[in-house]
Amino acid sequence: MSHPTHADGGHDLPHSHQKHYLIVAAVLTVVTAVEIGILFLPAVNGTWWVVPFIGVLAVFKFGLVVGEFMHLRPDHGVYKFLFMSPMFLALFSFIALSALAVVTYQPFGGGYAITQRDRKAGFVPPSAGGGFEVAWPEDKLKAAFAEAEKGGFAKGKATFASTCANCHRGDGGGMPALGPNMTDDCFKHGGSLAELYTTIGKGVQGTAMPAWSTSMSPDAIRQAAFFVRSLKGKNVAGGLECVGTKVAD
Amino acid sequence: MSEAVAIAHDGHSHDGHGHDAGHGHDAGHGHHQLTENNFLGLPNIKLAMWAFLGSECMFFGSLIGTYFFYREMSLGGPMPEDIFDVNITSISTFLLLMSSVTMALAVDNARQRNFGKMRAFILATAAQGAAFVGFQIYEFSHFVAHGLKLSTSLFGSTFYTMTGFHGAHVSVGVIWLVMVALLATQGKLNKDKIAINVEVMGLYWHFVDIVWIIIFTFVYLLEFTR
Repeated sequence: MSHPTHADGGHDLPHSHQKHYLIVAAVLTVVTAVEIGILFLPAVNGTWWVVPFIGVLAVFKFGLVVGEFMHLRPDHGVYKFLFMSPMFLALFSFIALSALAVVTYQPFGGGYAITQRDRKAGFVPPSAGGGFEVAWPEDKLKAAFAEAEKGGFAKGKATFASTCANCHRGDGGGMPALGPNMTDDCFKHGGSLAELYTTIGKGVQGTAMPAWSTSMSPDAIRQAAFFVRSLKGKNVAGGLECVGTKVAD
Repeated sequence: MSEAVAIAHDGHSHDGHGHDAGHGHDAGHGHHQLTENNFLGLPNIKLAMWAFLGSECMFFGSLIGTYFFYREMSLGGPMPEDIFDVNITSISTFLLLMSSVTMALAVDNARQRNFGKMRAFILATAAQGAAFVGFQIYEFSHFVAHGLKLSTSLFGSTFYTMTGFHGAHVSVGVIWLVMVALLATQGKLNKDKIAINVEVMGLYWHFVDIVWIIIFTFVYLLEFTR
């Protein structure tokens, strides 16, 4: 690009780029139309290259606006450095986060929660959505409880961390207006193993407690109930006040 | 400091110093009389804006990255494909894209010292930006009516945080544009600095547009691929 002369030392006007800008605008319009239009072509939408293709188009549009409208292409290298080094850092963090999401993905969130991706992938726990299964008799539950205790309540602990902790706090101390303290001696809806199992499975109407039997298997609910029961009497620091009835043993 | 400015000044007329002083860079033309130029002969205000936009890349990169990290990890509530409306979002996207064109034309007219046309293009840009924000308000209230709130699911939290911050940026841009247009109307702008000031405002505005280019494609359009 040639320079205007500075003969008079006054206000030399740079070239107008209006035509150039209008051409860029036309290209941006066409590319956007292609991006959107391609999704309405049933023969094309669904082939493997659609996602990479619209991705490339977006990057192309990004480059056009930065390079032409923001004038970075013909501009000084210091501007390029200032903008593009953090831009690539951001891109790499984005790629790292996406990779991490793929690597750490586990069906049911590693516990028994069913995510949208699990549903799409067809992962559904055996009885999920199949309705509520009545609690086992107390003696059978106690035997299963003893079994779970040997394993340190690992399964129930995982479910608690991924699901229950959202309202009952990570250590079970409870959250105001959400979930009561699980570590005191009080229970609002009964502290026996069968009662805990039923409360988790059916939820509590009119409270924040959902019916987990719609998304968790009976075994998962049982294991969660066992872990909750094991918290009784731990009285963690900063736990909520006792609500409900004291349960002796 | 005045020496450095003098060098930058010379850079345009003497070929010997040209390369050190950012010679051959179109955008440098109007700046030689600015006292705020640094030793590179580049206006500090523009350097600052590019550095800020670099940090904004990190900001929006994290927000978009977080959205993708938690994509399809929601347990309940409306899912993206249930509530996204490609038609409405395409219209608002197109408006924002075209606002970048009017912004570029405003900068061009500022450089040509056509201040009347410049103001008209600035106002056109602000109007399109305001319309974009209007579409976003409509979209958000539509989503809330369908049961998607900030605390409903991972989708709700990450989506509203990401697009909300973008909408806030557009809103700030609209306020900036309107203020400059008002000052231009009242003749309160420094005629020697107006070109660089409008150019820097334009950089901010274009950046807001490119963030939306990425969000529109990778957040919205992706849900409509089969």
